[in-house]
Amino acid sequence: MKRPELLTRLLITATLLGVVALPLWAWVSVLSNVEEPLIHASIAESGGWSPDVIQAKVGEPLHLKFTSDDVMHGFAVGQMEMQPVDIEPGKVSETTLTFTKPGIYTFFCTRWCGINHWRMRGTLEVSGEPTAPETVSPALYVTLGLNLDAPHLADAVPAEKPSAARGMGLLHQISNLPVDQSADYYRSHSPSQVFQDLSTSGLTDSQRWEVVAALWAQNTSPAALAEGGEIYAQNCAACHGETGSGNGVFADDLAARGEASMQAMSGSMDMSMQTPASFSDPQRMLGASPALLQGKILRGGMGTGMPMWGSIFTDEQIWNVIAYLYSFQFDYSK
Amino acid sequence: MRFNFLLFLLGLAGLVMMFAPLPVQSSPPVEREFRIEASQYAYSPGEISVNPGDTVKIHLVSTDVVHGLYVDEYGVSITADPGQTATLTFVADKPGSFRLRCNVTCGAMHPFMIGKLYVGPNLWFYRSAGLAALVILSIVFWKRSNQPTITAN
Repeated sequence: MKRPELLTRLLITATLLGVVALPLWAWVSVLSNVEEPLIHASIAESGGWSPDVIQAKVGEPLHLKFTSDDVMHGFAVGQMEMQPVDIEPGKVSETTLTFTKPGIYTFFCTRWCGINHWRMRGTLEVSGEPTAPETVSPALYVTLGLNLDAPHLADAVPAEKPSAARGMGLLHQISNLPVDQSADYYRSHSPSQVFQDLSTSGLTDSQRWEVVAALWAQNTSPAALAEGGEIYAQNCAACHGETGSGNGVFADDLAARGEASMQAMSGSMDMSMQTPASFSDPQRMLGASPALLQGKILRGGMGTGMPMWGSIFTDEQIWNVIAYLYSFQFDYSK
Repeated sequence: MRFNFLLFLLGLAGLVMMFAPLPVQSSPPVEREFRIEASQYAYSPGEISVNPGDTVKIHLVSTDVVHGLYVDEYGVSITADPGQTATLTFVADKPGSFRLRCNVTCGAMHPFMIGKLYVGPNLWFYRSAGLAALVILSIVFWKRSNQPTITAN
């Protein structure tokens, strides 16, 4: 065979092989991508997450791809330190997660996508060898035996916003006040209970409220308040209002739905549960202990628009939100 | 000759209409605040007007999903989540009318979510109205100057 002929034969063979091999390679690479399906996000009314159950293994990086079918959504895993992923229609966002502990995690939507935004949740099942069992203590409202749904109105309210700075001065001046400065005391008592405890102290009413404000300020920090405020703005303000007065952008919708619901038929109290709580109402806020508020946040409103946050936020985050809620009642400025 | 002169006069009037600086009463620039509620798929209020040079402060309140607001030509924008009012501040130094657009995909009708910003009086409207009147006038003149030739035949 002459050299050019050999070359031609080789070229033709290579081309023919390529024609078969290239599509085969493309097909195989498409098949191998099937392990990473595209997760579609849509508003809760049209189905929420699809799929809403994701499997993962401990220690193995989990690569996730998202897109949105309608409006802007977000993705984050509850109780996990991670940067939330924004999910926009027409775009694909990606993230990689690695789990260190097996268990069932909740993932949720992080950008408000309507009144039922909080219903957009899914589960992430992480399998693996169980590590040493952890002791789980029940929430404080359980050990205290608090009824989360009972009305909690303060008997007395201050005439004006009590100043924590002035109360701090009183705390330092008078040594034998009948109050405890520990976190346990703060968490298990409502401001109005502490106000009652101070009735034997010989202080005036406004001074007693100032001591209460000082105790509340002592159990938080500017950094904690800032974190609580950020969580509040992102997750609570749409219903409870940016100023905490229960008049957020969804408040009217919630009230309308509450009136239409079956619960409204059994009395006015049930109906009022459908409107978001106002944190600027001193009677309601000063009558609630941090433990009671923690219970309400952990468990949610059951039948109202209030979601359960227990699987989303860590204990510390919830305590910070609670500290922030009291800042609508107390003047923490120096 | 007379007809040409008339044509020249009309053309001159047209140019004046288009380019003459109109007496616009200039008010000292102030800060103007607007609260715009954004919902699927409209802004409320949908039109805002300011004077040239004013500082415009827009508080964007979203009432359902994440919305944005982008001002054409100025190129400034903000994004507001429900519960998180966003504030956009800019100086309206370009006169005219500009589109406000939602720049976060907010659903099927998102491309139609538009509003309008007027900076100063709508001069182009008055100018085009004047030009239209001029055109009608010239048609009337043209008809009149043509009439004798038609009847002469």
